[in-house]
Amino acid sequence: MNSAAEANARPGDVQSLRRRLIGFIAVGEVGVLAAMALLVAFFWLLEPAFLSERNIRAILNVVSFVGIIAIGQTVLLVAGEFDLSVGSVAGLSAVVSAKLMTAAALPVPLALLGGVGVGALVGLVNGLIVVKLRIPAFIQTLGMLFIGQGLIQVVTGGYPVYPLPPAISTIGGADLFFGLGWSFVFFIVAAIVADLMLRRTVLGRNMYATGGNQEVARLVGINTDAYKIGAFIAVGALAAIAGMFVMADLASGGTSIGSGWELTVIAGVVVGGVSLFGGAGTVAGGVIGILMLKVVQSGLVVVGVNANWQQIAVGVIMVMAVGLDILRRRYFTAGA
Amino acid sequence: MPEIDQQPLFSAVGIAKSFGGVQALRGVDLDVSAGEIHALLGQNGAGKSTLVKILNGVHPSGSYSGTIRLDGQPVAFASPAAARASGVGYVPQEIEVLEQLSVAENVFAGRTGLGEGMLVSQRRLQRHAAEIFEELGIDIDPRVYVAALTSAQRHLVMIARAIVLRPRVLMLDEPTASLSGTEVDALFAVLRRLKAQGVAMIYITHRLPEVMAICDRATVLRDGKVAVQIAREDFDAETFIFSMSGQRMQRLFPEHAAPVGTKPVLEVNHLNVPGHRGAIHGVRDVGFSVMAGEIVGLAGLLGSGRSEILHGIYGRVAATGEIGVEGKRVDIRTPRDARAAGIALLTEDRKRDGLLFNLPVGANITIGNLGPLARNGLVRGGQERSAILAAMRALNVKASSPQASVMHLSGGNQQKLLFARVLMRAPKLLLLDEPTKGVDAATRHEIYRLVVELAEKGVGLLVVASELEELIGLCDRCLTIADGRIVDEFRRGEGGEERVLRAVAAAQARDRETTMQASQ
Repeated sequence: MNSAAEANARPGDVQSLRRRLIGFIAVGEVGVLAAMALLVAFFWLLEPAFLSERNIRAILNVVSFVGIIAIGQTVLLVAGEFDLSVGSVAGLSAVVSAKLMTAAALPVPLALLGGVGVGALVGLVNGLIVVKLRIPAFIQTLGMLFIGQGLIQVVTGGYPVYPLPPAISTIGGADLFFGLGWSFVFFIVAAIVADLMLRRTVLGRNMYATGGNQEVARLVGINTDAYKIGAFIAVGALAAIAGMFVMADLASGGTSIGSGWELTVIAGVVVGGVSLFGGAGTVAGGVIGILMLKVVQSGLVVVGVNANWQQIAVGVIMVMAVGLDILRRRYFTAGA
Repeated sequence: MPEIDQQPLFSAVGIAKSFGGVQALRGVDLDVSAGEIHALLGQNGAGKSTLVKILNGVHPSGSYSGTIRLDGQPVAFASPAAARASGVGYVPQEIEVLEQLSVAENVFAGRTGLGEGMLVSQRRLQRHAAEIFEELGIDIDPRVYVAALTSAQRHLVMIARAIVLRPRVLMLDEPTASLSGTEVDALFAVLRRLKAQGVAMIYITHRLPEVMAICDRATVLRDGKVAVQIAREDFDAETFIFSMSGQRMQRLFPEHAAPVGTKPVLEVNHLNVPGHRGAIHGVRDVGFSVMAGEIVGLAGLLGSGRSEILHGIYGRVAATGEIGVEGKRVDIRTPRDARAAGIALLTEDRKRDGLLFNLPVGANITIGNLGPLARNGLVRGGQERSAILAAMRALNVKASSPQASVMHLSGGNQQKLLFARVLMRAPKLLLLDEPTKGVDAATRHEIYRLVVELAEKGVGLLVVASELEELIGLCDRCLTIADGRIVDEFRRGEGGEERVLRAVAAAQARDRETTMQASQ
């Protein structure tokens, strides 16, 4: 091969490689996944104990609770709304089901179903008010956050519901594999189902259309109101399930279950590339975002950073992640 | 009539501008003297707004060729703010007010400090606003919130906002579009006072009776050129209509003969559609039919209710009336119902209510049409892909792949993509709102051919287009709409642009007469 041909060939190769690389990065989840891998390597180098079995298990366990809610929140964000009341709903459902199985002496499965029902009902109320009365989701769900916290106190009188039937501790204490229990299994199954739902079904496609431009979606015959209300109900039910898994884990209907989760969940899915403005993002991305947030928190603990700095790190990471995401979008939509 | 200073205060010489190869203005001259109200007329697309945007700095100097002179001195406006600072004011057609602020704050928006520091004195603002209102004869309390005002009052607030800066030249873009008869009279009283103060005004309108009532001179634009300039003593509706329609280069439309003996695909009776927020015109008691294979056009000016008729039929807005499809009465409350009845709508504004920018080209075509491409709710990827590719081929949508972003497609390709979407369900009746808006000449032709092909397959078509020449060339039958009513109807060959403009002008004159009688 003569040198001229070589010189001609190389830029082409580099370009096609570059294009392929860009295409790869353009897939939202890959960026977050790469960032997470870097962070894991970083913490591991600083402190090998970060990748100890115990620590990995602890991270996955926490992620399984919050992650269940993140799945619903991602779907709701895709449909163009969001829910700040998920933490309260998780706590409320947990204490209600705990009361049902203790004070009301209902069989455990029925009591758990009651808890899910509470979550779904709150979701329905949120959805109806946001969609039909056109009250902004921010206001409605923020109000519901307070209402839920108040109801937790009303239901419990301020004391944790304890003791719970032994079946609950059996669920909470199960060791299915690697020391992980039912909450993790549920989380993984729900994540896969929801991801496929958004990616592959008519339902999912209509969800993206609804969140992308509600008027267009309406004009092509999509019942956008039903989609939004449905997503609100799904978030409520999933929050309830997460809350009850925590209750099983603690073997107690604690009054602080779920408090503060709403912002962790939103921060996490946003880090994972789910748009706050609707119509963009995947469940895989949202779940990876939550995982990354927890990796950072845990990593900072393991390497011995002061707890106050951990909060600061979470804040910085969230803003950075969204900033990078916006840059990425701008770069790709600018026609690279 | 006051004496008009014959030395022009504000003039434009040889203004030319093009947008991406399309020549919008081809050397326009215009001048206004102090105390003159100069009408600027022309059909949609004649170049009126482009000219006004150049004159008030929206299109900055350098983006056009030609000279603007103020007091005989050449001026170059880099922005609307620069134009304002030089004494050239502009009242846009759209009402731009801050609803949550008071009238006084709106009048002084952007300079509520009155140039004297950081603090805002509500009292002083209100006093200043009251003075301006008094001077202009506007009867609005400066203290109330703009949210409580009617659209006519809002327009007066916007005019006051422009007047506060004491402009020597004032441009008004269709200030009466959303006003009723008595409100128009109030506005004219204000304009007459400004005229007496020596303000030079450029008045854009579609309404000939208003030109006759208040303007001193008129310039008619056509195809980006001045068609004619008329002095007040020569004002004559005939002249205006003739010069606005003119004889343009004949464009070729594919041949299509109106179908004979087919059944109606759409029958509309007593259709009533409410007007937009603020606008008074909706659709009032309209009835007509569209035969299978027939192309029917709705002609009329912007805001006459053309689009509202389409929206009412499609269930996009709440409407009352009887709608029948293929002889069967259907109850349409939502777009979903309309689609189920075999009706499809192509909206006017691709960016606002057509494309989904969060989905790629392929998903934009199949959205709403996924039913047959799915089994048990699961989209069958292979089938969807082949349906997309087939649709893209059939309509000649040029995109690198079904995964490409719709953002980078040309206007023409975006429009063909939307055609692919609405045609995927093989509708019986297709409602087209400005189907060739913002598309290149070649695509325009493809769209004309497509419309005729669909008609030949027996689809009924109801078309709205602002370009009368296009509408008349394409349609088998035209219904002329004015103020939400059908005022004329004619078949291919029975009339042209002139007939439409004449019918609209006659309707406007009638309306004005009745409101004047009512107010007396």
